[in-house]
Amino acid sequence: MEPGLLQSSDWPLLIDLYFFLGGIAGGAFVIATIANLLDGQRYRDVVRVGYYIAFLAIIPAPIMLIVDLGLPTRFLHMMMVAKPSAEIGMDAITVGPFHFKPFSPMNAGAWALLGFSVFAFLAALDVFLEHRSGRSMSGLRLIVGVIGGFFGFFLAAYPGVLLGATARPLFVSAHWLGALFLAVGASTGGAAIALVLSLLGGQRREALSRLMRFTAFTLLLQLVALALFIVAVRMAGSARIGQALTQLLFGPYSLTFWLGAVVVGIVAPLVLQCAGGIKKAGAGVAALVSVLILIGGFLVKHVIIAAGQAT
Amino acid sequence: MARTLAMFTDVSLCIGCRACQVACKQWNQLAPEEPEWTGTYQNHAHFTDKSYRLVRFFEETDAKGQMKQWHMMSDVCKHCAQAGCLEACPTGAIYRTEYGTVNINQDICNGCRYCVSACPFGVVAFNHDTGTATKCTFCNDRIHNGLGPACAKACPTESIRFGFRDELAVKAKKRVDELKKLGYKDAQLYGEDKDGALGGLNAFFLLLGKPSIYGLPDKPKLPQRNVIADSLLAIGSALMVGLGALVAFRDRGGKGDA
Repeated sequence: MEPGLLQSSDWPLLIDLYFFLGGIAGGAFVIATIANLLDGQRYRDVVRVGYYIAFLAIIPAPIMLIVDLGLPTRFLHMMMVAKPSAEIGMDAITVGPFHFKPFSPMNAGAWALLGFSVFAFLAALDVFLEHRSGRSMSGLRLIVGVIGGFFGFFLAAYPGVLLGATARPLFVSAHWLGALFLAVGASTGGAAIALVLSLLGGQRREALSRLMRFTAFTLLLQLVALALFIVAVRMAGSARIGQALTQLLFGPYSLTFWLGAVVVGIVAPLVLQCAGGIKKAGAGVAALVSVLILIGGFLVKHVIIAAGQAT
Repeated sequence: MARTLAMFTDVSLCIGCRACQVACKQWNQLAPEEPEWTGTYQNHAHFTDKSYRLVRFFEETDAKGQMKQWHMMSDVCKHCAQAGCLEACPTGAIYRTEYGTVNINQDICNGCRYCVSACPFGVVAFNHDTGTATKCTFCNDRIHNGLGPACAKACPTESIRFGFRDELAVKAKKRVDELKKLGYKDAQLYGEDKDGALGGLNAFFLLLGKPSIYGLPDKPKLPQRNVIADSLLAIGSALMVGLGALVAFRDRGGKGDA
């Protein structure tokens, strides 16, 4: 018999939404940065929309985290307390009132959220000023993009690592959740940019085509990471862990998982892109594909978290 | 650090009276709770924000499903040498005391609840009234005033013993030998070994069978051990995404209408 004594954090849907928006923000920022590095002028719309989405998606993030806390007024304790204790964990660093715990993904994530928010604001401000006055601080944008990009990757991936560092049976042997969440962040970030561009209209066929190519690649990466996650959990060899996986794949969460996360979120967008031809994809197809990726991206995170917390 | 304090629970002496549970509630002024039907004499099913001490009841069955033996174990926070809750805590509210115990500073905890799911033993509970996480402190106020924890004081059979860890470990090993001579061949210590799982538990147990009979994990693992491997896989995923973006947006000659 395996322990039936574990308890759950019971994080609500709000946290799933935060993880989803954090992924979009991080993914969109990285795409905008790479597009800017390759040809900022040519991909001007991708860069602009990408940085705007990153900034807008990250604005509600801290609010969601704060609202979910038992004591919202203590949110800053994630990073600083007046009198930190001496022994608060492995390799913990305390400087004055500030503390950084590398083995606490939630603490590291709070710092990443702060760092990313600063760079997302600066990048959005730069593209806004460029749009309004035609002047851009290209050197600054480069630095902001590269450093913010690292934060963006971190923001997209850390929720998966955070879940993996719990004792919950579905998560504890998974190992691939960080990789999966990062791939989902990239695909949903790309989809969000493509959706906005397709709704804006105009001549943006090349940008959409390249975004569709990118999202197709990240969907395949997402599929591989998801498969490896299932294999890793299955190979854990524990009855309790096996039961948790069964609940996800064949139990009450299976419909959301297979239909929502896999079919709607991965298979349908890939089929649509292949059938329509990525290069020839029009704004309508791109918008439909993007919506499906966004729905699936939310559901895959939601269903894994829900199943992991309940089993 | 001062000499490590510990609790040794000998399940062979437990009679399931729950005096420990009551003493814990009284000393820590924990509010009463509605009884919960768990199918056994156990109440509640889990540790709660109002039950830091929990006497667990287990029915061991044989291969045919017939009742073989009834086990009782007074369970408590293990104050692990490598504590999942302490490592998970993003605020530093969970800290290690000079006696090696693990406490939650109620003035710092912000109620994120990460520690609740990070504990391999399901000890930490969330208190909806205070908005913070709570658990056993080994009666921190009592031990800092030279008194043992209330549960150990109340135990009528001395199934729960409190003292310096090294001294208790010697007594525990001696007790295992005694029980084996009496015919309890599967008697074993759980969590006493400092080189074992989680660096040893500061609340360790003498069990009469394998840990799984008592609902305990055979080899509890520090969840944060996953952080490095999971992060490396995430970095691999990030490299693939970056490569994918470079390929997707690389210049292939002609200017488009991006």
